[in-house]
Amino acid sequence: MIVTVTLNPAVDKVYWVDRLKIGRVTQEEFLTRASRSATTAGGKGVNMSVFLSRMGLENVAMGFVGGHTGHVVVRDLRDKGVTTNFVWVRGETRTNVTVLEKGRENVPILINESGSPVGSIELERFIRRFRRMMSRTSWVVLGGSLPPGVPDDTYLRLATIAHDAGAHVTLTAGGEALSLALTACPDLVKPDTREHRTLQGIALDSRDAIISAGRSIVTCGAGMVIISHEVTGDIAVSKEGVWELRSRLPTSAFKNLVGADDVFLAGILYKTIKEAPVEEALRFGLAAGLLSAESDEKVCRDLDKIERETASITVERVGGGSQ
Amino acid sequence: MKVREIMTKDLTAVERDVPVRELIFILENAEMPNMPVVDEDGKLIGFISEKDLIRAALPGYFEMLHSASFIPDMNQLARKLAQIADNPIEKYMHRDVLYVTEEDDDLRAADLIIRKGVKNLPVVDAQGRLIGRVRRIDLLRHLSGDDDPLA
Repeated sequence: MIVTVTLNPAVDKVYWVDRLKIGRVTQEEFLTRASRSATTAGGKGVNMSVFLSRMGLENVAMGFVGGHTGHVVVRDLRDKGVTTNFVWVRGETRTNVTVLEKGRENVPILINESGSPVGSIELERFIRRFRRMMSRTSWVVLGGSLPPGVPDDTYLRLATIAHDAGAHVTLTAGGEALSLALTACPDLVKPDTREHRTLQGIALDSRDAIISAGRSIVTCGAGMVIISHEVTGDIAVSKEGVWELRSRLPTSAFKNLVGADDVFLAGILYKTIKEAPVEEALRFGLAAGLLSAESDEKVCRDLDKIERETASITVERVGGGSQ
Repeated sequence: MKVREIMTKDLTAVERDVPVRELIFILENAEMPNMPVVDEDGKLIGFISEKDLIRAALPGYFEMLHSASFIPDMNQLARKLAQIADNPIEKYMHRDVLYVTEEDDDLRAADLIIRKGVKNLPVVDAQGRLIGRVRRIDLLRHLSGDDDPLA
């Protein structure tokens, strides 16, 4: 069983518009009409849960939810075959808005709320529930930002509980929560570098810098680290080597980037659980992520299509082990 | 069809030491009329409903009466609820829990729900751990053919 943790999930609201009217507009023009919209459960662990369910892997999504939007998240997950196990809190689950303008979908407007605060009583309630799941769990996914009020060492605590129970840990987060959790040696890590372009004190401004940062994390005990390089390329570092991933797709082909990174990581996790070789896992992950970015739908669910897409992805070993 | 195929896959549950006031919060927010009680390994050990809490807050002789007009006043009920709000729910839960397993047929779930008049049943795996629940509406939707009525 896989458990995904999204402490700060969201309702993802996506609007497609023909032309976004912002800046100096006349009184008659100030309304932008959406040609289409979509409402789905969101957040890193949640997106990964949806993908894993599509691939036929049983998983349980955990975290905090509240209010009407909390019900939207839970309902959407259940409809998609994910088992839910959320702690209810006061306040509303946040809503993250994406606006995609026709022809400029690769540069979306993203407005993310920070989420309702979560107190220490609720956090302890969650941790107790998380422990309860461990006897049936082989992999734990910890993903995304922490809600206000939740201490930065929470992912570290959860990763330690998981490892003590014999489960593997996948972590995708940023900032201090990531740095602290790295000391628990997660097995698979994808740093969220959207807001912090530094890792382990290293500025991620070149390929070599990314490899150094990755090696530094692996030296601390992490199994494999995947760091975004350019949008269609990534670098993976483990004790066994360094790989560079490339795809044929130009970024201009992207239709909806929301969740694509999470599908990328979920794809790697899926193949890792199926005990595929590392290069196959990386290729599959990137194919799944790119197909999700290339389609309007947030999560690509077509296994055959993903397998076909892997042919267009190169995974090149560019360095040896880091010992 | 197996229970596994029609159940609602949700693991919302409480432990036996959870106070009554916390259970009321969860029942209200999760919009559930009742709640399974589990141990530290997720095994089903009890069941508690809104009805059990109301009964706990009423005088012992209440069920012998025919009308709520015998309740002296709502303040008395509120006072009693306030008194028990910090008590652990295990004082009021049922230990003889009705449940089905994921391998049971839908017929068994339907039979229990109809005969016992319950709104839903916890579903457990082979180790007795909670893995979901079958609601009356799950059965009704399933029996009506799972079709989208508006399609």
